[in-house]
Amino acid sequence: MALVTVDKGNIRILFQYSELVRNLTIKEFKLRYRNSVLGFFWSLLNPLAMMIILTLVFSTLLRSGIEKFPVFLLTALLAWRFFSISTSMSLSSIIGNGPLVTKIYFPRWLLVLSSNLANLIGSSLEFAALFPLLIFLGMKITPLLILLPVILILEFILIIGVSLILAPLNVYYRDFNQIWDITLQIGFFLCPIIYSISLIPERYILAYSLNPMTRVVESVRKILYYNTLPTLADFIIVLLSGLLLLLVGYLIFRRLEPRFAEEI
Amino acid sequence: MQVIQVEDLWKKFKIPHERRTTILENIAGALQILEGKRFTYEEFWALKAINFNVNHGESIGVIGENGSGKSTLLKVIANILRPDRGKVKASGKIAPILELGVGFHPDLTVRENASVYGSIMGLKNSEVKKRMGSMLGFSGLERFKDAKLKNLSSGMQMRLGFSVAIETNPDVFLIDEALAVGDMEFQQKCMDKFKEFKGEKKTIVLVSHALDLVKEFCEKTLFLSRGEMVAFGNTEDTINEYMRRVRGST
Repeated sequence: MALVTVDKGNIRILFQYSELVRNLTIKEFKLRYRNSVLGFFWSLLNPLAMMIILTLVFSTLLRSGIEKFPVFLLTALLAWRFFSISTSMSLSSIIGNGPLVTKIYFPRWLLVLSSNLANLIGSSLEFAALFPLLIFLGMKITPLLILLPVILILEFILIIGVSLILAPLNVYYRDFNQIWDITLQIGFFLCPIIYSISLIPERYILAYSLNPMTRVVESVRKILYYNTLPTLADFIIVLLSGLLLLLVGYLIFRRLEPRFAEEI
Repeated sequence: MQVIQVEDLWKKFKIPHERRTTILENIAGALQILEGKRFTYEEFWALKAINFNVNHGESIGVIGENGSGKSTLLKVIANILRPDRGKVKASGKIAPILELGVGFHPDLTVRENASVYGSIMGLKNSEVKKRMGSMLGFSGLERFKDAKLKNLSSGMQMRLGFSVAIETNPDVFLIDEALAVGDMEFQQKCMDKFKEFKGEKKTIVLVSHALDLVKEFCEKTLFLSRGEMVAFGNTEDTINEYMRRVRGST
């Protein structure tokens, strides 16, 4: 094993390279919005358009009968978008930084983390920017709101775990992003985003609610739409699956990382 | 004190006859194997049983024909590539200055690249800011500080890479033919800088085809041929051996 610096714990690496993580995150964020004039505005337009279309479909054509449907939809949609955009962007976090990876050494997982952090900032801004609209559409602000950051941080752990699996695999198999695209499309309908969880038949509900993203989406909706407390099980399932994915991601990443520079 | 230790280093590359970079191609490939066609690739040993040490403050030249493994060796020392067998240990802050660039992102501006690169090398943003003036000064690119890297010429990118790298104050330089793209004036500036570094007891590994340069700078030289170490030692003798071989083969 070639070790430039003595193999330190990953936490120590994080402190040692905290400035690099910051710079890479800013870099990601800038590159994402620099090439378009409207920049950040576009990322708001997408969920808004989706909300308007789906609201029209569900309240006029399908008559879902759900009260304040735009709020019902948009809260869940934002939670889902955080996951789907973060993980899809992470797919290119290694390949997209090829010029760095092939020329100099630094712990490669910092690239994945920085991509995720840039999305954390982006999604938080998205939430913040759409909040006034949500209130206008009838969302109530309650003390439960303090739980929103908690659930988003748990979701973030989940995202890092998944990204650590996806990013290295995409270096070796370049069509992995197509596969992930399809997976996300299936995931979108597997989670209670455009429909209510009460539509799921009783006998499937146990398997259905083992999906951590179902828990995330439903928790956000509980906090912002139903104004009820998410259950302890919601938090525990998201946390445990996040930690499990983090472990799997760590192992996969560590195994595939040595040949990154050759495969890029 | 040994700064770089290379013990029985072997590095191989796999060269597939058909390169497969997608899952679809891999599935198609697996089906072909079922039909009796074999998935074939060539193993190419880029480095074989390399052994040498570099002491603190030494300047080492690396010479050999194209494809002899010189660049691969530098990349393994820099921990960009990992050995298949053997051990490579390098201590201190290492600045690899490889062909065209030191690790810059084409879509970032000159200044942003300096910050990212600086933090890879362990510099705080405030320190990078302080040294920005001398970085730009040495490269002669003050006017282009807000230009994206991809809009600079290859020579300018090299100047910038070199200037930024030396300002991060590394202990070890790994230089791969980097100076060849620079103009005369810049090459001269770099030479002066190297002399300074030698005086400061920095460790330098220099891959070059410019034998005069190697003669002038390096007390020891490593001669590689087809991934094997032909000679390592006194620069004069090693270069003579190299010349003898080159003449012998023509």
